[in-house]
Amino acid sequence: MRRKRKKRDSESVELNLAAMLDMAFQLLTFFILTFRPAPIEGQLVLQLPPPLPVTDVETQQQEQTGSGGGEAGLKSLIITVDADSGGNVSSLKVGFGMLFKGPANESNLHKLDQRLRDAFTLYAGSFEQVLIRAAPALHYGELMRIVDVCMQQKLADGTNLQKVSFAELAE
Amino acid sequence: MSASMHDGAEPNLTPMLDMVFQLVTFFMLVINFKGAAMDLSLKLPVLGSARPLDTKGKEDVIVLNIDQEGHLNVYGKQQDVRQYITKEARLSAMNATSRNAAFKSGDELPTMVVVRADKATPFKLLNEVIDTCRKNNFRKFSLKVVNREERR
Repeated sequence: MRRKRKKRDSESVELNLAAMLDMAFQLLTFFILTFRPAPIEGQLVLQLPPPLPVTDVETQQQEQTGSGGGEAGLKSLIITVDADSGGNVSSLKVGFGMLFKGPANESNLHKLDQRLRDAFTLYAGSFEQVLIRAAPALHYGELMRIVDVCMQQKLADGTNLQKVSFAELAE
Repeated sequence: MSASMHDGAEPNLTPMLDMVFQLVTFFMLVINFKGAAMDLSLKLPVLGSARPLDTKGKEDVIVLNIDQEGHLNVYGKQQDVRQYITKEARLSAMNATSRNAAFKSGDELPTMVVVRADKATPFKLLNEVIDTCRKNNFRKFSLKVVNREERR
């Protein structure tokens, strides 16, 4: 009896690790093959007003710039963006005044920033949102450059402008 | 001679197994299931000033991938814009009602619409999608951009 116990103690139990290693390698292969890091994306957060039927854009523009009424009862600063056949910005108006003709390059976007800053500081409280009226062919990438400039503006209460809405220009 | 023939040289697999498990753990931790909702073939607009905004997972979102032709892709499948947005609006309204009894039909939905559109998408097509969302009481939008041009 005593002899038997001694014999059992000396026998070491060995796990077969090869099977576990196989499985672990299979898992590793799966994760390596399906690994695709998501790109780091930024975002512009907008609060859009509910849609209202637009009957006459010119009248609406006069109402909005004049009496401060307009879409969803918000006082809107209207930016009109025209596009060329390639979908790039060809001209931009703020209110009724032409700001620039040509592409939305750095210097033109700087002009837009300056004009918006003036509008939001000189007429503080006059505008609560920006309404961008864009040509149907305008590319989204070009539009976003204008939206980005708008989103950098500060309202009278010191908060960043978040209310930007869109309308389509007639073709 | 015969004794040495029977002694098989067995490699010690334990360190290798440790290393493999560490690698498996790493890949399990970094796997991103949210990425499945993104159509990575789209070329997003590039804006240097855009920064990622962390909602800490508290906000419900729907992701709309819109290609140059204005097609909506959801988890790799093309969907009808109106049908999909109407269905999502109904689900969002049901969730909002279950969380807040005061929620009424026609109120602003708490879900954020994440728009991932190709930079060459014409405004007309994009505006149709945004208008459909607005008609279904979605008000919060997040327009996705990248900080720099991706290398492919």
